[in-house]
Amino acid sequence: MSTTASFRTHEVPDDLLAAIDYCYDQGWTDGLPVVPPVVARVKAMLAADGRPADTVIARHPATGLDLSLHAAAVNAVMAGCLPEYFPVVVAAFEAMDKPDFNFHGSTASTGGSAPLLIVSGPYAEEIGMNADVNLFGPGNRANGTIGRATRLILRNVFQMLPGISDKSTQGNPGKYSFCIAERARGNPWPLLCEAQGYPKGTSSVTAYAGGGFCNVENHGGNTPEQILGSVADAMANYGCITLGQAVVILAPEHMQIVAGAGWTREKAQAYLFAQAKRSVEGMKSVGKYRDREYDTQHGEGAHALAAKGFMHRGLGPDDILVTMGGGDAGGHSCFIPSWSRGRGSIMQHSAIRAEVK
Amino acid sequence: MQLYSPLSTTPKRKAVRAPALGGIDGLRIGILENGKLNAEEMLNEVAALFVQHHGCTVRTLASKKNASAPAPSNTLVQVAQEVDFLITGLGD
Repeated sequence: MSTTASFRTHEVPDDLLAAIDYCYDQGWTDGLPVVPPVVARVKAMLAADGRPADTVIARHPATGLDLSLHAAAVNAVMAGCLPEYFPVVVAAFEAMDKPDFNFHGSTASTGGSAPLLIVSGPYAEEIGMNADVNLFGPGNRANGTIGRATRLILRNVFQMLPGISDKSTQGNPGKYSFCIAERARGNPWPLLCEAQGYPKGTSSVTAYAGGGFCNVENHGGNTPEQILGSVADAMANYGCITLGQAVVILAPEHMQIVAGAGWTREKAQAYLFAQAKRSVEGMKSVGKYRDREYDTQHGEGAHALAAKGFMHRGLGPDDILVTMGGGDAGGHSCFIPSWSRGRGSIMQHSAIRAEVK
Repeated sequence: MQLYSPLSTTPKRKAVRAPALGGIDGLRIGILENGKLNAEEMLNEVAALFVQHHGCTVRTLASKKNASAPAPSNTLVQVAQEVDFLITGLGD
């Protein structure tokens, strides 16, 4: 690995608006204006990692295109990231580079998924990420720009271009930015980074090919079964149900009901898996049942699972990531369906290489 | 003002198209089926048209388990030795 690589530059007039227009003209944007990637800002971004700029952190399996730290830093600047956000962007691509995530397929597919990033641990608070009110909405620079940097890298570095190599039938709004922090304040369960086995103090990013956003409203339920029953129904609606994985973000109000009754994450996962199901006959009625699909996902001989008369969301309780996020008020949780399991996209996580001060 | 390029610095691979076939009458066909719904049925129908109209022969049916991942290189190397041209596509 060389540390003396030179990186291509473009000379533009000393006019900020003209530089923004230049980026548009080059086809470097997601449709919104970008911060022109001037040399000084890119170098400051790179300093947040410390490794040589030409270090490769991800590779596109279909085209062989590499993502270097340098290219990641350029796109992070364009997205509006501050240098302290960069370790999160890097960790996201280290997770997405794992073969089982299949970021080529999940980006190129008609399915229209977007990489959902869930940042867990103290580094999220260190850089001011939002895990609270308006969790998935606008208003927080770290959430917004880290997610946007992910999209710009997919576009500019890996050339996943809408209409050409990104063939999403409808896409989803998360393709602009889809990044949240896990709420630690008041969370009764171990944080994801702890459950993932990272040492104390180490934060993580979980990457998940999210196929949209489904609000789960329940203001009347006051037992775990009522709250999780409504979540499970969303997970198993005919439009969404597949054998794919699931992400469930419980609102604090809902979490108080579930954990307040003594339910652990594992118990909630098991309940959701048991309840999120449709009958084989029902699946046939909407044309979504494929004979022996369980076999292709589980391996030969798994047909007996469907032969019991039901298909569940996912293959088991571990396929459901559940944690807490959002504001204190409101009975609004969410379920985020996954892109295709059959095409091979399984959520992945990676450690964030940064110290909390 | 100097801007860095946001593109990959990977040198472009030299991708070369295979030379066009002089004709297709009597050639050997391979089918690469990608596992998607109806793919095998559709590709077999297409191959049958080549057989019917051009006297081709179907020599190989190769499959890949994941429609969204590139075909394994050993699959392509093996098929290339057995056929004159390959047809593939989506069926859903």
